[in-house]
Amino acid sequence: MLRKYKPFLRAGAIDTMTFRFNIMIWAVVTVCQVACLVFLWLAVYRSSAGGIDAEIHGFSFREMIAYVVLTTVFNFVTFNNDTMWYINNDIRKGTIGNHLIKPISYRGKFAATSLGSLLTMAVMFGLPFYTAALLALRGLGFLPGLTFPAFFAHLGLFLLSGLCASLLNDVISYIFGVLCFYTTSAWGLNSLKETLVSFLSGTLLPLAFFPAGLRDVLSWMPFAGMSQNPVLILMMKYDLAASLRCVALSAAWIVVLELLAKLLFSHAARKVTVQGG
Amino acid sequence: MRYVHLYFTCIKRSMISRLEYKKDTLVALSSFFFSNLCSLAALYFILQSIPALAGYSLYEVGFFYGFSMLPIALDHLFSDELWLVAYRRVKDGDMDMHFLRPVPVLFQVFAETFQPEGFGELILGAALIAVCASNLTVAVTFGSVAVLFVGALFGAVIITSLKVAIAALAFIFKRSGPLLQIIYNFSTYAKYPLAIYPAFIRAFLIFVLPFGLFISLPVDTLLYGKHDPWLLCGAIIGCAAVFFALAVWVWTACERRYESTGS
Repeated sequence: MLRKYKPFLRAGAIDTMTFRFNIMIWAVVTVCQVACLVFLWLAVYRSSAGGIDAEIHGFSFREMIAYVVLTTVFNFVTFNNDTMWYINNDIRKGTIGNHLIKPISYRGKFAATSLGSLLTMAVMFGLPFYTAALLALRGLGFLPGLTFPAFFAHLGLFLLSGLCASLLNDVISYIFGVLCFYTTSAWGLNSLKETLVSFLSGTLLPLAFFPAGLRDVLSWMPFAGMSQNPVLILMMKYDLAASLRCVALSAAWIVVLELLAKLLFSHAARKVTVQGG
Repeated sequence: MRYVHLYFTCIKRSMISRLEYKKDTLVALSSFFFSNLCSLAALYFILQSIPALAGYSLYEVGFFYGFSMLPIALDHLFSDELWLVAYRRVKDGDMDMHFLRPVPVLFQVFAETFQPEGFGELILGAALIAVCASNLTVAVTFGSVAVLFVGALFGAVIITSLKVAIAALAFIFKRSGPLLQIIYNFSTYAKYPLAIYPAFIRAFLIFVLPFGLFISLPVDTLLYGKHDPWLLCGAIIGCAAVFFALAVWVWTACERRYESTGS
């Protein structure tokens, strides 16, 4: 009698589990990747002139591991917007037309959505993940002991720079999304964007390892503010003045990039090709 | 012969549909190239700050990295559709059409896409090998070069077989993409010499997921003559045969349990 409802029961359970399942898969993939990096860095420091206790470009082995772990958490919590895919979908399905006649800004809609998802992610995952990561790193001796008033100042600046990072990521996603007006497909542009950001933001490797000239240029670009700087602020590698400068630079870039996005959009909107209706 | 003809007809059709998005294809090609270049640059910057990595010089590590790209690129050229099968196509119910045609489903899946991005990887890998090899002095023997070819070719067979077997699980579980992602990501480990890993990971990369067997060991053989080349050739080919047979077996078994999800 009730048997015929079993598939629905199962479907409901699976639906609810999906999100949790995705997080689990993410965790396994990430642990494998982080482990690979830990082995690589272990080999690098062991092979360096000063041995495992050496400091390379201002990073000790322990700090480097803390950096790898914290950037991984940071990227997961901060970069979760689908702005580019939404724009691409709007173009391919033709719904872009509806958005263009609505009395709200297309850009504003995405900025708000991204902030909403940032808040959820920060509370749902950020809080437990950062706490766990910081406690574990501290417990294993990978982070120095915290001095409390100073830590809270850094924590505040970290949150602020995290917010800037998320906004920067959103506006860059938006710019690449608008470029889809020209290419009508997001696949290639998206991978180009992800590569650029992960390399130039110091996610792949801290910018301190880059050659001097490139490093100087990049220190004035918006990318470092998207991953490296917030994490280094949290690790208290920057003093308060340097941290403040990083936040100010990010804020300035947000303004510049928003203007650029506006210009680009007004040009692209005249080119729009709608593929479906 | 009929299948060769059929393969090219299908691929031609898929290329035409791909060219619908010319600009995007170009961007995708260059982004792929660029992403490999970035990881390489990162590795180069790291190696600049130390004398050698676990005893391997800059050019030797570069050689490893370049060589690891070859089997991965070869697999990438031909079997990209398996990702879609594992992630989406079974779940969305659009595999049905393949079951109605008088050609094996596995063949149709392979004939669905040809990924020219793979060429970018192949060229970059080959260029890296050429640059690094010209800066290394190695005693090249016929055997050590043969083992590189065997490693690249049969390594690609092993990777593709792994992908086939795991993608086939989607016929039962509707979606096996995430699992495929986890397994495939272990290929990153094989980009560096095995010497940097602890013993259990080394064993894992040789005996369980044999990325190390067909990437690291052949390179070690060329650079240091660490292993007997012909024995290694035999091991790689044998391993590829086992993986291939297993993959076909798993695919056929899972295919029989396919149930359409509707649409």
